[in-house]
Amino acid sequence: MSTPDPHPANGLDDVVHQRVRLGILTIAREARQVEFAFLRTQLDLTAGNLSQHLGVLETAGLIEVEKGYAGKRARTWIRLTPAGQTALADEIARLKQLISIVESAAGRPA
Amino acid sequence: MPAEGDPRQLLADSRRLTRRVRVARRVTWFPLLTLAAVTLAAIPIVRFAPLNLTCEPAANPSGATVCAISRPVAVFVYWPVALVLAYVAIAYCYARVARNRGLTARVAPYAVAGIALTVVATAVSVWGMQQALAIVHHQSASAYWPHWVYRLAGPDGVIGLALLVLAGLERHVALLLFTLGYLAVVLVPIRFGGGIGWGPTWSITASLVIEGGVLLLGGLGFLVAQRRSQRRTQRLAGR
Repeated sequence: MSTPDPHPANGLDDVVHQRVRLGILTIAREARQVEFAFLRTQLDLTAGNLSQHLGVLETAGLIEVEKGYAGKRARTWIRLTPAGQTALADEIARLKQLISIVESAAGRPA
Repeated sequence: MPAEGDPRQLLADSRRLTRRVRVARRVTWFPLLTLAAVTLAAIPIVRFAPLNLTCEPAANPSGATVCAISRPVAVFVYWPVALVLAYVAIAYCYARVARNRGLTARVAPYAVAGIALTVVATAVSVWGMQQALAIVHHQSASAYWPHWVYRLAGPDGVIGLALLVLAGLERHVALLLFTLGYLAVVLVPIRFGGGIGWGPTWSITASLVIEGGVLLLGGLGFLVAQRRSQRRTQRLAGR
């Protein structure tokens, strides 16, 4: 007897499946390299809150953080790692699967 | 399920953020205004250094006419140099603006496509001149390409084709529609009654005015739209 496929909700990564961190990964994927201030503005976060989430993602190996200077102004740049690309793609795929399951269930007669 | 974990909301947020990054990267007005300037600046060159076709009887027993094209300044000098410089300037502007906004630019494929198309267009122009001479010398009338091929391979066609690449890179529907309109002006061609029966030099001048004008109006339109969008965003952020 074959085991049924696991529900996509079981495969969700808690590091990625969080609104702010998913937003960070999404922006970093599209931008390829994004500055701290841009993330803060787009996600409407305080610097401390954003730093906390970046720390979680960096510890999980999903992003790289590079600090530098543009003239005299300190800049922090965030880039997605290959693991981050994969994790984001997996998360998006699972979200779509979940939506599909919910919509299929809603369409079934009671 | 709380909104934080709602898959539909998360996916919608992801798409919204992706779109915001694409919009934040755009500097659409700059390429259009730059290429408008390049097009309009070609007018005095075409007017005062036009292509010259001279024909005279050959000093041979057959007495056949020999023709030559001279002063191809626009084809071999102005357009290749101006377009390459324009694409380099556009790439630099995009990179600088993106950096200031906290992003990286994604304009290299557009600049490379523009420069590559410029090289191809110059080669096709040379080929076209040889075809024209062959026609005059009655050597090969069947190798002539349709007019729209020459228009597409001309500097104005190059500008349009490269803008299609930019519209694709930026996923910019408005730019795509604008570019299709511009290419229609170039290929049909749409002259709004101007240039017909004016002689070759003035006819080309009229084309440049119209095409440059379309690019200029497009560039100004996108600039105004971007400024309005930025003011709207600042107003919403200030609430």
